Amino acid sequence: MKFSYSWLTEHLKTNAHFEEIEKKLTSIGLEVEDIQDTGKAYQEFIVGQVLEEKKHPNADKLKLCKVDIGKEKVDVVCGAPNVEKGMKVVYAPVGSTIPVNQMKIKAAKIRGVESYGMMCSEYELGISNEHDGIIRLEEKETIGRSFSEIYGLNDIVIEIGITPNRQDCLGVKGIARDLASAGMGELLERKISREKGSFKSPIKIEIQDNKICSAFAGRYFRNVKNTESPEWLKNKLKSIGLRPISALVDITNFVMYDENRPLHVYDADKIDGKIIVRTANDGESFLALDEKDYHLKNGMCVIADEKKVLGLGGIMGGESTGCSTGTKNVLLESALFDEINTAKTGRNLSILSDARYRFERGIDPNSTLKGIDLATQLILEICGGECSEVELAGNIKENKNEVSTSSSYISRRLGFEVSDKELISILSSLGIETSQTGDVIKCSIPSWRQDIHGEADISEEVIRIKGYENIPTSNIRLKSKINKNILNYAQKKLMKARHFIASIEYDELVTFSFTDSKNCAVFGDINKLKIVNPISEELDILRPNLLPNLLQAIKKNKNRNFDSFSIFEIGSQYRSTSPEDQLNVACGIKSGIKTEKSWKNMQTEFDIYDVKQDLTSLIDYLMPGNKKISVSNDCPSWYHPGRSGSIKINNSVIAGYFGELHPRVANQFKIKNKTNIFELYLDELPNTEKKTTNKPVLNLSDFQIVTRDFAFVIDKKVKSEEVVTSAFKVDKELIRNVEIFDLFEDVSLGKDKKSIAIKVTLQSNEKTLAENDIFEISSKIIKSVEKSTSGTVRS
Amino acid sequence: MKDFRELETEIKKASDKFTDIESINEFRIKFLGKKGIISLEMKELASLSGDERKQNAEKLNKIKDSVLEIIASKTEELNSEELEKKLNSETLDITLSTSKSYGTIHPISQVIEEVITIFGDLDFFVAEGPEVETDYNNFTALNTSEHHPARQMHDTFYVETETDGMPNVLRTHTSPVQIRSMLKQKPPIRLIAPGKTFRCDNDQTHSPMFHQVEGLVIDQESNMSHLKGCLEIFLKTFFETDKLNMRFRPSHFPFTEPSAEVDIGYTKKGNQLIIGEGEDWLEILGCGMVHPNVLKNVNINSNEYQGYAFGMGIERLAMLKYGISDLRTFFDSDLRWNKHYGFSPLNIPSIIGDLS
Repeated sequence: MKFSYSWLTEHLKTNAHFEEIEKKLTSIGLEVEDIQDTGKAYQEFIVGQVLEEKKHPNADKLKLCKVDIGKEKVDVVCGAPNVEKGMKVVYAPVGSTIPVNQMKIKAAKIRGVESYGMMCSEYELGISNEHDGIIRLEEKETIGRSFSEIYGLNDIVIEIGITPNRQDCLGVKGIARDLASAGMGELLERKISREKGSFKSPIKIEIQDNKICSAFAGRYFRNVKNTESPEWLKNKLKSIGLRPISALVDITNFVMYDENRPLHVYDADKIDGKIIVRTANDGESFLALDEKDYHLKNGMCVIADEKKVLGLGGIMGGESTGCSTGTKNVLLESALFDEINTAKTGRNLSILSDARYRFERGIDPNSTLKGIDLATQLILEICGGECSEVELAGNIKENKNEVSTSSSYISRRLGFEVSDKELISILSSLGIETSQTGDVIKCSIPSWRQDIHGEADISEEVIRIKGYENIPTSNIRLKSKINKNILNYAQKKLMKARHFIASIEYDELVTFSFTDSKNCAVFGDINKLKIVNPISEELDILRPNLLPNLLQAIKKNKNRNFDSFSIFEIGSQYRSTSPEDQLNVACGIKSGIKTEKSWKNMQTEFDIYDVKQDLTSLIDYLMPGNKKISVSNDCPSWYHPGRSGSIKINNSVIAGYFGELHPRVANQFKIKNKTNIFELYLDELPNTEKKTTNKPVLNLSDFQIVTRDFAFVIDKKVKSEEVVTSAFKVDKELIRNVEIFDLFEDVSLGKDKKSIAIKVTLQSNEKTLAENDIFEISSKIIKSVEKSTSGTVRS
Repeated sequence: MKDFRELETEIKKASDKFTDIESINEFRIKFLGKKGIISLEMKELASLSGDERKQNAEKLNKIKDSVLEIIASKTEELNSEELEKKLNSETLDITLSTSKSYGTIHPISQVIEEVITIFGDLDFFVAEGPEVETDYNNFTALNTSEHHPARQMHDTFYVETETDGMPNVLRTHTSPVQIRSMLKQKPPIRLIAPGKTFRCDNDQTHSPMFHQVEGLVIDQESNMSHLKGCLEIFLKTFFETDKLNMRFRPSHFPFTEPSAEVDIGYTKKGNQLIIGEGEDWLEILGCGMVHPNVLKNVNINSNEYQGYAFGMGIERLAMLKYGISDLRTFFDSDLRWNKHYGFSPLNIPSIIGDLS
């Protein structure tokens, strides 16, 4: 909401300095967003008088002038046809900036003659389009006087942000009222004469649906002259960035910005019969003042006559009854349209208008007739003619809110003592009438404050006017804790996972929760993930998986010359767009160079064993203690079928995957390097929250440790893990560890065979193992492995 | 029997000629070997009798000790010379190096953890809610009816699923977590809810996805002055400053009444933003006393209970604290940015250690 300081002072008698008002506006909730001191912009332009005027020696159309600007006399080269000796002019000195083109005036030689400054036209000063000649000021103007004073431009334009509840401040008067309440001066009541009208309006008004429009006041004017508006009115509208159109339109705009009362004028000669306020019929269409055709739907509030739609109630008038310079007879409308209906219609048709903005926030019902009175006064004054009596359809319901409160309630909410006296005084300054019975203070809310419904609202009014800076600061530390845990188990798990993964060289990324459906068919059912109004085609679904955005990140960074990637994200992916279908996943990618070629190392590349190790050590970190991790080949289709594995913990559900990205998916994302990924479904990890702080009992043996190596030739397709587990299960007490230390594949072993070598560590808790003990267990190990792998021991 | 004095001279003479370990060995054999001079003399002692044997044995033992002493000290001397020589030949170029790289924690995660740490110390627990929300939780329960103008300001993303006949939305703020939590838990309540939020807006200063942290306190007494106290501790601790100019000014949120926006003072020194000092203001968060209608919607008696709520942007906090100038870079996945602005994984925010 924009207004000028001078406009404000028409409603507010104040001695306060402008800076004080500016601060106060923000402190009462009318946040100052911008201030433009137009006075300052014109400050350097002053009155000068042309003392001499002669022809330029080198140019026919230029003249050499000597101009008296008070403190000195300067030479100015001027091209204006109307410049003449003795004329009072607007002089722009060297160093000033011409508003229309932001040109800075410099001392310059024009066709060989020195010129200091410039004499200005209205156009150059940005006041009008008049550029045929320079401004001729009246004879009486004093040389050296500021030009902005003469043109009434000594003003400040203020723009404030209005929160949706403060509909009352969408007019300059409302702002003045709030400032007056906050002690910034006295609210001035504009004197408005109430015309009775000399005849009955020939246009009758009928409201067919009083839910969408509760009241419609109309007044007929005959023999008006829709001229250009007077200077004061045009300047006012221009000061807040509105374009003057014609007196009738300008007057309605003025009343809207002054009193927060939207009005409309119809060319009465173009109305067929009576005015009917009704809901639109499906399929009806109408050409609005913005020159667009709107297709209307049942439920929208239209103002119609007996033949056609004239306007959309509370939103925009129509082209057919628009006023032009030839308009003679008009109908002035001041109505009360329903807030919700106006909002819905405006939204459906995507029309933003000043009227809609105000009606959907709620209009003071009492402004209906006041608006008619103010507009009448101005129309008669500017456009002449005669007015009819006011024709009112429907009822103007005041629906005054009544709220009961007490100073103890207000004090309890605000955190400091507010006395009855102070409370009542603040409320009365806001126009809220009070009556007290015992502790209860009954408040009668004025019609312009549609936002005050309850006690809480009263508490805000009190602190707003008293000033938020007066709220004391209280300590919030508690004597005893109310929450057992700050983070729950699942939340801690996420945080631990994040730090662990970053500690093993991955960079954490945060990517959008949206992604491109075109890349995602493989990851999930994209039809269940659609966003109705996506920000762009490339971000049209919720991500079914963290991978698509991470893969895109790899692609992007590849273009930035990165050739080694260790990235991860922990976040949610979605099974569908139902609130409960969101899962927490950690997804890491290692791709490209693992170790750079250097004086010490050969270049190596990441492979699936890197991500497998990362995944299993992550699981180990998140689930310390005994657990059974098993790996199998059943991976989702975005993994390379032969180079991927799924991880099951304690034989329950699958908790994660690792492997190489399927070449087809890699291709789709235009990634050439082998891309190794892991995914951990954090919600699926069995809960291993510590039940006790004690660690398991530690049994240490001091008897000698013995190691024995074995090698087995087995089928290639037999998993090496089988060798380890079948060796382990031979004696759970004696066998402390089994480790694969060699893998060897060669035709000499036989077709599709491989050799796996294991190192078995043995130790007893009771004695030093004797040679025959070791021999016995070794044979058992060989037997067990041979049996379960159908392999043979190598000797 | 040999003249012991002669023997001592012989020992002295021989011990001057040591050049290496081998010569020490020869020396040892010469005097102490099975057929060494001293060994033989020892044997001869047996043939002596009485006092003479005693005297000679004493002398001989002294000589033997001195030989052992010489062997030990000369060996040590030679070994250390040897080592010195070896060390002189064993040099590596210490200017060569290998590198070890660590991963990084994203600034969003860092700031969220910092916020949790500070509020955790004030006994707030961390609550959560889903990113796809019901219209009811996101708006209606928060006193924002279907046609409330505030709804239009939210630029809501809609999805195709519905709850109770209304399309579900991507939550436009973290405030619906208030509703979910209050339905689950009776007062006293102290919670924060950090998380992702979404608005259909994409330009220089808006991202369609961003992060907020919500705060909620409901009990029998918490009021505007507690709200002020709470935010003051938080902002001072977060920005790691003792000086903090903080300004509350009236605003409007449908779910709080009174509502306030909070600004903090700042000055600019060169390219650096100094938070806390100065007369220029930066908007940092919105807050207020929970609206009685919200409490009513979650069946909490607003005559008995009251409290405050606040919400702030994680990106904004991160930008101000860490001097990150562009909002959109957070989600750009430019590894140069991540490596520059990211945090060490060992850097877990702490109240007793460092926050950042």
